[in-house]
Amino acid sequence: MDDFIAALTKVNGCCEQVADIGAAAAYIARHSDGPLLLPPQPSLLRIGLREELVRAGLPVIDNDWRAQAPTADSGITGANFAIAATGSIVLDSTQEAVRLASTLPERHFVLLDPAKILPEATDGIPIVRRIHQETPQTYLAYITGPSRTADIERVLTIGVHGPAELHILLLPGLSDDPMES
Amino acid sequence: MIKPERSRNYQNRIQDALLKPNLQETLGKFADAYVLAREAAFAGQDFEALRDSIAEIKDEVRNNLPKYLEEFTTNAEAAGAKVFLAKTAEDANRYILDLARARGVKKIVKSKSMASEETHLNRALIEAGVDVLETDLGEWIVQLAGERPSHMVLPAIHMVKEEVAELFSKATGRTESAEIPHLVRVAREQLRQAYLDADLGITGANAAIAETGGLALVTNEGNARLTSTLPKIHVALVGIEKLVPTLEDAHNIINVLPKNATGQLITSYISWIRGAVPCGDAAKELHIVLLDNGRSALAESAVCRDALRCIKCGACANVCPVYQIVGGHVFGHVYISAIGIILTAFFHGLDNAAELVKACIGCRACVAVCPSKIDLESIILHLREVLGEEEGIGTGKSLVFKKIMRNRKLFHGMLRAASLLQKPVTRGERSIRHLPLFFSGLTEWRTLPAIADKPLRDLWNTLPQKLEKPRYRVAFFAGCLNDFVYPELGQDLVKVLNHMNVDVSFPLEQNCCGVPALYSGDRETATALAKQNIDAMLQSAPDFVITTCPTCTMSLQRDFLDLLKENPEWTSKAQQLSAITMDISRFIVDELDGSSAFAGVADLSSVTYHDSCHLKRGAGVWQQPRELLERSGHTLAEMAHSDRCCGFGGSYSFTGHPEIARRILADKIRDIETSQADCVAMDCPGCLMQIKGGLEKQEKPIRAAHTIELLAEALRKTKFED
Repeated sequence: MDDFIAALTKVNGCCEQVADIGAAAAYIARHSDGPLLLPPQPSLLRIGLREELVRAGLPVIDNDWRAQAPTADSGITGANFAIAATGSIVLDSTQEAVRLASTLPERHFVLLDPAKILPEATDGIPIVRRIHQETPQTYLAYITGPSRTADIERVLTIGVHGPAELHILLLPGLSDDPMES
Repeated sequence: MIKPERSRNYQNRIQDALLKPNLQETLGKFADAYVLAREAAFAGQDFEALRDSIAEIKDEVRNNLPKYLEEFTTNAEAAGAKVFLAKTAEDANRYILDLARARGVKKIVKSKSMASEETHLNRALIEAGVDVLETDLGEWIVQLAGERPSHMVLPAIHMVKEEVAELFSKATGRTESAEIPHLVRVAREQLRQAYLDADLGITGANAAIAETGGLALVTNEGNARLTSTLPKIHVALVGIEKLVPTLEDAHNIINVLPKNATGQLITSYISWIRGAVPCGDAAKELHIVLLDNGRSALAESAVCRDALRCIKCGACANVCPVYQIVGGHVFGHVYISAIGIILTAFFHGLDNAAELVKACIGCRACVAVCPSKIDLESIILHLREVLGEEEGIGTGKSLVFKKIMRNRKLFHGMLRAASLLQKPVTRGERSIRHLPLFFSGLTEWRTLPAIADKPLRDLWNTLPQKLEKPRYRVAFFAGCLNDFVYPELGQDLVKVLNHMNVDVSFPLEQNCCGVPALYSGDRETATALAKQNIDAMLQSAPDFVITTCPTCTMSLQRDFLDLLKENPEWTSKAQQLSAITMDISRFIVDELDGSSAFAGVADLSSVTYHDSCHLKRGAGVWQQPRELLERSGHTLAEMAHSDRCCGFGGSYSFTGHPEIARRILADKIRDIETSQADCVAMDCPGCLMQIKGGLEKQEKPIRAAHTIELLAEALRKTKFED
């Protein structure tokens, strides 16, 4: 977990360890500024994140994704697994709502069970293969830090087309199943 | 294009690039940052093993292409994609255009795809009335400028922020300030609506995985994710060389790609896309256009086919001294730099590669960093030979190589005559500082050494060697510069080797090593010279053949084998010579274990060392001369970029590209000066001529010397004096 946090910090990602769902919702409340896209993620549904966010008074969008995504401030997803060496999270984004939530808004919040952190990229390949085998169509994303560019004078600039902020919330007990996000 | 016009256009482009403000500074800064970032990215990893594995993956696919094409197509179509194999660029463009027409497409967004640059897809679509917008920041900038990318990974690296601000101001109709975060924000806002409005998105792919029928896409900005998500139709244009067998293979390539491209550990996004994923209420329409366009022909060429291993990282440009001077708009067609020369020849025709082939200075810096283990320089040399045969190599060169060099007595006789003829310009000095009239350009930025009064071959018998029981008998291959320009280096060599109890002979029948002919594309002359030299050097059955010029070393060690590989009788002789040939530093340190014999002989002075391209990246020698210099009592003050080319490159700096050579030399002189050493040592008479000439012309109080010269000088000053 320490390696994961260190690697993520190096690529300008934010990482926060949260004790429970309430703390997660409070973190999101502090760091977002507008409508939240919440695609149906099995792990997030199970713990009742939607209710928790609503209780905290946050505007949650959980339908009509295409129409609402362009004006959303943030997207919230789970993750299938993560890689410590590079600070990456791996997210099955085959559902369009997951892709919209993780590409269009300014901010992307990811809830991740630290039990899902694998040491090296190569450790994830068998899972990637299983996901391919179990879903006929696949859109799988490795996400490492926020969107970035160095196309002008080689100067690193954060936040071009994708999210300018990536927040990973480490929530123990969320889900240790890499086949779900 | 006819040849004279083509050459003229090319020379004009070089001149324009040289005049472009900031270009060299921008590219130089990037090159420096790149080397450090790359080193950090690969820390703790075995780059050689990684590149062996990539070469193996790519060769496996090349050798079994039909099998992997079928596997990929079957799996991709099972997942709902449509796969089209395009034989030519026109086929690919027509397929995409027909699709766009059939679906009534008005607007297209694109993420970066070199394959689409290769097919000139944008032009085809725009001519048909479709709106095409590049969304990668760098690509959008060059699209707004009406240019093409000058680097495969960093399309707009040739521009400064002020130029970008001007382009963006035109696009938005406002005045955009030249601050980079602001400009990036402008791009985000301007392009956002385009993703939402587009009917079709075009991407490339970094790997097409046969096992899954899926594509892997590597990006930092997130534009490819939007391009492949928002529009209802997704077209991926993918070169067939991007096929890989398994997910592990794709991971191996993606692990190396960003590290070698920009020194980045991993890109922000890697997307694995397989089949017709959900899109709105329906399924996405995914078309995968696999592009051949010359790749099959390239696979057929035994000499060039390794170029298909390229993963398009652009590293060959990042380390190229020529690229750093002129940039990718000159040193490239669509694909740039070393790999660009080769791909251009096969994808866009030899004619478009003809001038670029000559632009390579042959320093092998690209070969050292290529993640796919492509011997770029050898392939470029081969293309030069093909062009030499097709177009001729120029009547002047042809006459010199065929009629003069092959006839050793005539060649050497002319060099002797030149020694007398040059008197009016040398005024008896060893350096030519000015040349009259139209030759004056050649001594504008460096002095040139005079041809010696007496070549080494005429002095040889006057060099006494009194060894009673020599440890070895070696033959010295001097090379033209050592023989006719720097004969004293030969005397130094005898001094040093005798000190090590090694007897040295000078086979008089030795001739030019053939590199000038070979590098100009005249393989026939190079082969004739190889035979002459093999016979000459093996005649007295020496224990070793020793050189002071690494270019000659590579010729005797490597090129002769290749030149004579069709001929079994000559092959075994060439192997024999190759096995016993080595440069002097390696001989002393590795064979004689002799650096201790020089311990403390030199007066303590500060020396910096210039690594000659062919010594370090050809013969693999760089520690040995440093060991000799340090053991003998010099302090080593390493310069920055010690292994960057000095810009000599043989005829490159005389007739080919003197203006580029001049600037590469200027960088080298700056690095030497900054090291604050009293002397710059090197192990190549060509580099010596270039660097000494530059230092003299600029009147720098820094000495340039061959390592062997410093060792001999130290010996003469000590008790070892004869």
